[in-house]
Amino acid sequence: MEYILKNGIVYDPANEINGEKMDVMFKDGLIVDNVSADAEVLDVTDKIVMPAGVDPHAHVAGPKLVVGRLYRPEDSRRGVTQKTKVLRSESGFSIPSCPATGYRYSRLGYGTVVEAAMPPLEAKHTHEEIATIPQLDIPAMPLFGNNWFVMEYAKDNNIEDIAAFVAAWLKISKGYGIKIVNPCGSEAWGWGMNVHGVNDKAPYFDVTSKEVIVALAKANEMLNLPHSIHIHPNDLGHPGNVPTTIETMDAVKGIKKGKGAAEVRDQVMHLTHLQFHSYLGNSWKDVTSGAEEVAKHFNKADNLTCDIGQVTFDETTTMTADAPMEYDLFKLSGLKWTNKDIECETAAGIIPCIYSKRSPVSTLQWAIGLELFLLIEDPWRVCLTTDHPNAGPFTRYPRIISWLMSNEKRQDMCDNEVHKWVHKRTLLPTLEREYDFYDIATITRAAPAKIYGFTDRGALTPGYRADIAVYDINPNDIDPSKQADEIEKGFNVADYTIKDGQILVKDKEIVKVKESQNIWVNVKGWEQNEQKVIDNIMPFFTQYYSVKWENYPVHDHYVSNPIRVDVDGK
Amino acid sequence: MHYANTYLEKPVVPDVKITGEGTTDVLKCMLNTGSDIYQGACKKRGSTLKEEYKNASGTCYMDPRDMAKLGVNNWDTVLVKTDFGEVVVNCAVSRDAPHEGTVFICKGPWANTIVSHDTYCCSDPTYKGIKCTVEKTDRKVLLMADLMRWVYKKYVDEEDDDVVENMESLGELPVYHGRKWEELIDHDL
Amino acid sequence: MTYEPPVTDYDYIVENCTCAFCGCNCDDLDYLVKDNHVVAVRHACRLGASKIMEDMDQRLLVPMVRDENGELKEVDWDTALDKAAEYIANSIRPVFYGWSETSTECMKEGVALGEYIGAVLDNQATICHGPSLQAVQNAGYPIQTLGEVQNRADMIVYSGSNAMNSHPRHMARYAVFCRGYFRQRGRFDRTVVTMDPKFSDTAKCSDKWIGFEQNGDYGFYNAIRAVLRGKELYQDVISGIPKEDIYELAEEMKNAEFGVLFFGLGLTHTLSKQRNIDIAIKMVQDLNRYSKWGLTPMRGHFNVNGFNIFMAFECGFAFGVDYCRGYPRYMMGETNTIDLLVRKEPDCFMVIAADPGAHFPNGANQHLANIPVIQIDIHWGPSTELADVVLPGSFIGVECAGTSYRMDGVPIYMKKAIDKPETCRDDEWIVRELKERVMKLREEPNVAPKYVPNPNAL
Repeated sequence: MEYILKNGIVYDPANEINGEKMDVMFKDGLIVDNVSADAEVLDVTDKIVMPAGVDPHAHVAGPKLVVGRLYRPEDSRRGVTQKTKVLRSESGFSIPSCPATGYRYSRLGYGTVVEAAMPPLEAKHTHEEIATIPQLDIPAMPLFGNNWFVMEYAKDNNIEDIAAFVAAWLKISKGYGIKIVNPCGSEAWGWGMNVHGVNDKAPYFDVTSKEVIVALAKANEMLNLPHSIHIHPNDLGHPGNVPTTIETMDAVKGIKKGKGAAEVRDQVMHLTHLQFHSYLGNSWKDVTSGAEEVAKHFNKADNLTCDIGQVTFDETTTMTADAPMEYDLFKLSGLKWTNKDIECETAAGIIPCIYSKRSPVSTLQWAIGLELFLLIEDPWRVCLTTDHPNAGPFTRYPRIISWLMSNEKRQDMCDNEVHKWVHKRTLLPTLEREYDFYDIATITRAAPAKIYGFTDRGALTPGYRADIAVYDINPNDIDPSKQADEIEKGFNVADYTIKDGQILVKDKEIVKVKESQNIWVNVKGWEQNEQKVIDNIMPFFTQYYSVKWENYPVHDHYVSNPIRVDVDGK
Repeated sequence: MHYANTYLEKPVVPDVKITGEGTTDVLKCMLNTGSDIYQGACKKRGSTLKEEYKNASGTCYMDPRDMAKLGVNNWDTVLVKTDFGEVVVNCAVSRDAPHEGTVFICKGPWANTIVSHDTYCCSDPTYKGIKCTVEKTDRKVLLMADLMRWVYKKYVDEEDDDVVENMESLGELPVYHGRKWEELIDHDL
Repeated sequence: MTYEPPVTDYDYIVENCTCAFCGCNCDDLDYLVKDNHVVAVRHACRLGASKIMEDMDQRLLVPMVRDENGELKEVDWDTALDKAAEYIANSIRPVFYGWSETSTECMKEGVALGEYIGAVLDNQATICHGPSLQAVQNAGYPIQTLGEVQNRADMIVYSGSNAMNSHPRHMARYAVFCRGYFRQRGRFDRTVVTMDPKFSDTAKCSDKWIGFEQNGDYGFYNAIRAVLRGKELYQDVISGIPKEDIYELAEEMKNAEFGVLFFGLGLTHTLSKQRNIDIAIKMVQDLNRYSKWGLTPMRGHFNVNGFNIFMAFECGFAFGVDYCRGYPRYMMGETNTIDLLVRKEPDCFMVIAADPGAHFPNGANQHLANIPVIQIDIHWGPSTELADVVLPGSFIGVECAGTSYRMDGVPIYMKKAIDKPETCRDDEWIVRELKERVMKLREEPNVAPKYVPNPNAL
């Protein structure tokens, strides 16, 4: 089938197309540069056309999510929607059910979402959920930062075995890259403790957080993985965590990028939800924004990228593999606390969270996120996220876009809506920068695709997947700095969402449901090393894991329709 | 073919001999239900029609002092009554004794006839801690199929409990289309 | 019990099979197979071995439909499926109950059918750990995988759970006797406490038995919490336990390096129901101020947790999900099977991989005598005595592969070891067939004409 999207106004930063009126053509699921006269014409005159969105960091599938849904029926009830002839029923607001997750991303014009934390032991579960989410391509990031084997190898600075281990575990868990969460801290949580700073050791393991980060970063580049290490640094959400964040950034100084697939990206470390890691002060009493310091440091280090984790002022559900932090939150708020430790690998915590405009801390967090967006100079190095659902649900992305595009809106909120801490403890009221549509297309599409090393999406290049979003906004007719509400409304529901050349959303309604695909990285050239590592750890595995080795890997049964990315690891 | 055998006709219970007639006709007790390993093994093997299930599930485990009060011995029959119904079961000495004043019947159709269906709005019936009386009886413990017929009467044209209780037994093997299971295996499959 | 010689006459062994009995989901079983029959099982407990060495006398082999005389009559698959589909399609308040002894793959078909027809989907949690889930929704859910327990735990508490009888390998494989990375001496490195009014078999192999009185669980936990928070106890004896013992126990729990509370139906079935679990969870949360504590409900069936997890990701609610309005609703005590049956609401009941005949109270089962009952199962059981259509399924983990979730949420792929009897069908196939036939018989009820955005969800 051939299609032509006619007369749209195209923003495609990867191809440096900034608001040009032009046609976009696609055929058999791919973007092409010309089509025959039989092509079906979709008239999108004066509407915004962008590549479909790429979300670099969200929690959408897996054991944490399910516990969240299971223990928060009050959240599920908030989003119930009746089924239609095309769609199944929906439920949930901050932790939507799987079908709802797919539908809502699709309505926003997204095509790819990265599931940000997958414990390898329960990877089957994550993949079962991925298979239940419709409409999207979903890579999942297995957790390595507190893995006992990794910590042991890191202690010995045995990079080669870590690399082999990672290569094997990506195959076993059908994962995309290396996720590190509070390295050594979640292991310390096994004993109810945490680590503080990058030079603290996990109990009994004699290895520091920094050593784990460096070792994994080196292994990542040794394997030429398309994505860099993806890190949630230590001390999340603690006042005074800026030094830790900066030391984490500095840890990868001098590490050289790999070859091949690794060359698509520029960074060797992706810092996730940077907002939660930019607090100065000593306690919640004297906490202030550290965004300026963090952004200054970040701007100078060109081997880093980040996403923000922007707070949206909603009642949401926080969930992270940083379990000790969740217990700290529990001590603060007293809301129902869930914890889930996973043997030899990781931990997780969940707690409901209410971000209120009247609350000084929520306001501070909200302002820090926006400060970072506005202070980080290069939009190619920063991505739009809410760390869904931690700082807010992904359905709020359009609202964040409207804030970024309108200084007037932000000033109005600072003066009239949010807590006065915004003036006393942050720079936000002094920042006047406004994003334009090109910048927005960068932080929601082009940058995340590049950061993940995708070479088939995130741009409207001929030969790429036909993942396209059309929004009912006429850029020549709207003044985003004055019409923030219209911007939000326009981005809330896409006019068209096209995934792999299939029209999923048309005239703001989902007209078609498509099965999801999992994207995973298959490293080649390390098979012998992988086998050696597996043989070495087998006695330990047999003794101390509670499942048999045969039951550990994700069987093909769970990834029936994957997109396999073959990477030359040598 | 040699199969590993997991059948056990009766649960193993302490061998306590009660002598004497007993001091009371009706004993007031607290009833608990739940699972034990004999009941679980028999139920999940699928042997629910058999004598084994009747003995595993249809047995009231009692403290020997309570049994002495009633004057009953292992594998005598007793009638247990609650506000929700009554049922005839075996009695036997509890492995978990002492628990004077409390009796235990494994979950199963026998216990079901006398437990409380009250959920107090939380989905789960009250299977434990129900007031009951236990008395000696001459009536027989029914096999599972006979018990289901007696309690629910879904497929008999008879309302009278006594009549149904004394109907011909449905036996220990599946009955379908008027034939016994083994006949069917011989002729039809 | 008499001595039995080991089985030596077998064709081959299938290793690392998963036990389809309790929530332990032991995945290290070896089946000895001869002539496509499992003739013996290695590593399994008495319960697991007994289930896998099933009773072929009572195996359901042919579909059956009740005739006008009230007798089950063997029929072909088409007739039985059409009859069942007709019952479902003609009902206005169908309930699909069970699912805990089948795979998530089968549940997937079940939820599709349930959502289409507007049924209530519920599982055995409704009569076992439903109150636990309710408590989790009130108070939280600090859990850990069983390997964490094995490797770290130095204090194990069983409360209202007789693991030696209902989860016989739990102590050996995961919690008590096994060697762990930080507990190299196994049993000797752990303190085991059993809280149960009965001196159960588990209590017999524990270091400490807390025999609080019947229905005294809430008061007892309340006292421990009070002590943990530095309060003084005024009564000398609380729930039958002397206060000195409570002080001592609280101190011991505070000083454990890694403690785990396993709780069973002893807590959920007594008078205070979900409140017992509620306070137990809060006790664990309090204990985390001093050391590391977690808990795990002792789930009874091998996939009862699986259904809760599955439903939560499919529709946001764990069990007792009512689709009659075209969107999922869940209300404890309202959309749950027992409550529905006691209120005599359902007009069609499908039971799959469960046995209400054996496990529902009389007051609920009485209604099953009034309405059509469809049974999908592998054995002739008490529910067969109430069933109008009987559809013989296959044995997950032995005759058919599928996914299950262990009590701690670890997913396990249960592989197939032998072929199913020729006349049986996989549960997944049966439910899919029913779905397709129902779809032909009846138009989808309660469909919105178009998508109406929920302002909350945007």
